[in-house]
Amino acid sequence: MSITKLGRYMRSVSIIGVGCTPFMNTVDNPETDGLTEGDLFGYAALQAMEDAGVNPRDVDFYFHGQASPLNCSNYLTPNIQIGNCFGMKGKASIHHSEACCTGYYALEQAVNAVASGKYNCVLSGCVEFGDSAAVPNHPYKREKITMEKFLQTTAWLYDRNYTRSLMAGQELIYDDAAEYYKRTNGLTDEQMDDTLCWMSINNRKNSSKCELAIERKTYDEIAKENGYNSAIEYMKSPFNPRTGDFLRMSGIEIKCDGAAAVLVCATDMIEELTHGKMQHKPVEVLGIGCGAFEASNPHFEIRATEEAVEEVYDVTGVKPEEIDIFYANDFIITSHLIAAEIAGYLPKGEGWKYICEGRTAYDGDKPINTNGGRTSFGHAHAASGLADLYECIHQMRGDCGERQVKKLPKTAMLRGYGGAQNICTYIIRTKED
Amino acid sequence: MAVKLERITKTFYDNLELGKITGRRCKSCGAMEFPPHLACNSCGSTDMEWVEISGKATMHSIVLPAQLSSKPEYAPLKPFAYGEIHLEEGAEFNAVVRGINKKKRKVLIEKLPVKVTAAIYQRDGYKTVVFDLDEGQCD
Repeated sequence: MSITKLGRYMRSVSIIGVGCTPFMNTVDNPETDGLTEGDLFGYAALQAMEDAGVNPRDVDFYFHGQASPLNCSNYLTPNIQIGNCFGMKGKASIHHSEACCTGYYALEQAVNAVASGKYNCVLSGCVEFGDSAAVPNHPYKREKITMEKFLQTTAWLYDRNYTRSLMAGQELIYDDAAEYYKRTNGLTDEQMDDTLCWMSINNRKNSSKCELAIERKTYDEIAKENGYNSAIEYMKSPFNPRTGDFLRMSGIEIKCDGAAAVLVCATDMIEELTHGKMQHKPVEVLGIGCGAFEASNPHFEIRATEEAVEEVYDVTGVKPEEIDIFYANDFIITSHLIAAEIAGYLPKGEGWKYICEGRTAYDGDKPINTNGGRTSFGHAHAASGLADLYECIHQMRGDCGERQVKKLPKTAMLRGYGGAQNICTYIIRTKED
Repeated sequence: MAVKLERITKTFYDNLELGKITGRRCKSCGAMEFPPHLACNSCGSTDMEWVEISGKATMHSIVLPAQLSSKPEYAPLKPFAYGEIHLEEGAEFNAVVRGINKKKRKVLIEKLPVKVTAAIYQRDGYKTVVFDLDEGQCD
């Protein structure tokens, strides 16, 4: 029984446009060094509007998401500071920040604003510089973020009163889900290790076919370059050391820069707003479930995911067997296994076998994170959720080229996670004529 | 109005300085809030009272610290593990348990939950709560 029972939306809301930048380390490349928050957000926002055939002046409101605006951008009001950049000057907006879950709450915010009847067409975008920080007193220059500074700011994710003091909550984020999964399903150490490694291998196989991903080289190729016979042999080598109790280096996010955006509107107003210019079917947001357990609570990710998943199935009436494709924010890679099982997308206690058999890669029968997820597509913290949505929408349109999944997905579930710890899970479905 | 403006966090740490580990018990449903909070997370009541906890608890999961999940200032705690703790009084939370290394984990994992006891631990500038594995748990 979920803690909160959701009500249904007051009116249907659909996704009509999506946009996404490449995920990259902007300062490392002379061609991207100098890109600003407004450049990235504006590109993603305008791409989403162009995708839908909507003029920026016809959008009523925008949401702005960023996980770390003060540290990385020297911004206190990030939505305002980019407000002149993409044709929406004077339109109202608000900033929100839920760390790595920001890009998932971005859709929730926009859908609520339209479903309530207040607005008809809303943009929601997120931008993050995960790899660099603004140079103070300079209009656009940035410098690489040191690991020391990054870790200092991630410590701020955890409750100052008790969790940081008690020391366990913030450290359990890396291995709690793996320990729980292994213990409760009776896996051996080797089986758990294989599962974690294969998730990374499958993610990279997916990103190798994704032009926006930061990492494109498969682990098979990397293994060969380093004298190993197979990807799994390489993954067990000193090149991929354990950095957690269970977790290996390949199971951790690749932090980077990027932006993504989505445009939603009232389903019954699509024709009026797009003037017939939209070239694809809309995707209806059937429902969004949310949960949150602060990191001092045992198995916080698992409990919050259970809550959010139960909510969204309850309010939509959708059954797990109807989900055709699944995404999970997996900056700690174990996330995508446990989330997929809680969602019923993979059978409970058996999901690890699907992963080790490669069935969750883009060409398998249970595709997960077809863009490569956080360990291969990259993690531009706030923007990652909307980047997953961008990928999912294109999979549902059938235009993903080499990495297009076998069966055209009609119904999808995406599970956001982050911020020690918010969970946001949604079910979307292609709207047929 | 029943709700009172109180320095809950400060009182908890002040009590540790006095050698007492305290939580707040709900007078409506009896649930324990540990660490202590303003309202009861079981029934929502604000009718709470400060109580000293016994320190007796059980540990239900074991994760060992590693490169990503440790800090230099944790060194004096070694050997230790992180895990899910259930207080005898009912609260559940994540905490540090001293006295567990890789070898002991192999034995303990087959016997979960195992008994642990709360202790006051001096950190840099304030005291906090950790747990110690009870004697005989690895036998």
